[in-house]
Amino acid sequence: MTVAKKQILLKVICLVLALVLAAIAGVSFYDQRHYKETVVVSDALTEVRWLSDYVPMLKGTYGDTPIFIFDSGVEGGSVLYCGGTHPYEPATSLSAFILMENIQVEKGKVFVIPQCSYSATTLGVQGNAYPSYYTIETEWGEQKYKIGERNTNPLDQWPDNFTYINYPSGQSQAYNDLRNLNRCYPGRLDGTFTERVAYAIMEVIRTENIDMSIDCHEASIMYPVVGTYVAHDDAMDIAMMAAMDLSATSFDMKIEQSPKSLKGFTHREWGDYSDTLAILMETPEPFIDRIVGPMTVDLMMTGKDLFLSFAGDKGLTYVPYTAENDHSWPMNVRVGRHLSGAAKAVYYMNMFFPEKEVIATWPSYEELVEKDCGAFLHDPSAANPDQVYKF
Amino acid sequence: MTTIEAIIHYAYFVMAGIIGLLLLKGLFKREKRQGLVYDIVYAYCIIPFLLRVLYIK
Repeated sequence: MTVAKKQILLKVICLVLALVLAAIAGVSFYDQRHYKETVVVSDALTEVRWLSDYVPMLKGTYGDTPIFIFDSGVEGGSVLYCGGTHPYEPATSLSAFILMENIQVEKGKVFVIPQCSYSATTLGVQGNAYPSYYTIETEWGEQKYKIGERNTNPLDQWPDNFTYINYPSGQSQAYNDLRNLNRCYPGRLDGTFTERVAYAIMEVIRTENIDMSIDCHEASIMYPVVGTYVAHDDAMDIAMMAAMDLSATSFDMKIEQSPKSLKGFTHREWGDYSDTLAILMETPEPFIDRIVGPMTVDLMMTGKDLFLSFAGDKGLTYVPYTAENDHSWPMNVRVGRHLSGAAKAVYYMNMFFPEKEVIATWPSYEELVEKDCGAFLHDPSAANPDQVYKF
Repeated sequence: MTTIEAIIHYAYFVMAGIIGLLLLKGLFKREKRQGLVYDIVYAYCIIPFLLRVLYIK
C-alpha cells in the first residue's frame, strides 16, 4: 500500500470512529429530546388545555405544554401550580405529577402546568455530566422521569445574543438568561421563543383570572434563597403566615419579598402584569451545588454528598446539612415541602380572601416523608386509559 | 421580529452544515499539518456540527 493510500485509510478510520461516537451520543440525545413522561391523573380532572390554546403560534412547537384543570364545579377561587420552570430541578415536576395523580377538589379550580419550560426538558445540562433520567420505585414497578436543563433547548432558540435585555423593563441581564423562562416574564408575542412561552403562561393567568399562582423551584443549599417562599408584594401576608405556620408545625420555611428591581421573574412579573397572588417556592437540591462530587442519580435522589457535608458541618449552608438530617435532602422530602408549601399558601389565601376560597386536597409533607413518592404514583397499565397522559 | 428571528435561527443551522463540510474537506484535502493527531481533531470536531444539523443536539 502506498503512503498516500495509507493516509487516506487513516483519515477514513478517524471519520468512521467519529461517526460511531456521534451515533452513540446522538441516540442518547435523541431519546431525551423525544422521551415522554407518564401521568395517571386523578378522577377529579375535568379538562386538558395547551398553552397553544392561549397563544396559537406555539402549536406544534416544543413550547407547547399541557395544562391540567381540576374544576370542582363549585364557584370559588382558582390556583395555578407550576412545575418544571427549570427542569433540572425535578422535584418541582414530580410534585406536580403527584399532585395531579391524587388531587380532589371540593371548591374552586386548580390548574397544573407540570412542565412549564417543556423545551428545557428535552436536553440535559450542557457542559455537565448530568444523568438524563431518574426513576421512582413503586409497588408496581419503576416510573422513569427526565432531568432536564435550566434553559430552553438551543434547537428551539438559537443563537444566543451577546446581551439580553428584559422586555419591557429594559433591564440588562446575563446573555444566556435569554433562554431562561424565569427571566423572560412577562414575555411578548413577537419576542423570542422563550418570551412567547412566558407570554402564554401570563395569558393563562390573565384569561382564567387565576387568584393564586405558585411557581416551584429547587435551589442549591449554599444559595441564601433556599427553603423559602419568595412572594410578590400582594401575596406577602399570605406567604408570611404560611411560612410561620409551616415553621411551627411541619418544617422550616423562610420568606423573602420579591425585589422590585429584579425583572423577569415569576414572583415579580406575574403579580405586576396580572391580578394574581404570585408566590415562588424553593426547596433544597444539593445536586446543583457547585462543590459536590460526582453528579449521579443517587445524589439527585438522596442529596447526600461528602464534599458538601464538610460545608454543612461548618455551618456554611443556608439550610441544615448535618448529621441530624444525615447530610441529605431526599426527593420525597423536597416534593413534600412543595406540596405542603402550596397547600398552606392556599389555606391562608382562603383566610385572607374568603371570596377566593379553594378547597382541594393532595398528599402532604408528612405523608411523603412517611410513605415516599412511589406510594402516590399509579400504575399506568392498570389505570383507566382516559386518565393516562404521556407528554 | 419573529420572522427575522426564525431566519437567523435556520441560517445558523445552514452555517453549522457548512462548517461541518469545511471540516470534512479539511480532514481529506488540507495541505498543512498532515499528522494523524490533526486527522483525529478534524474528525472529532465534525460531531457537534453533524448533531446540530440533524436537529438532535
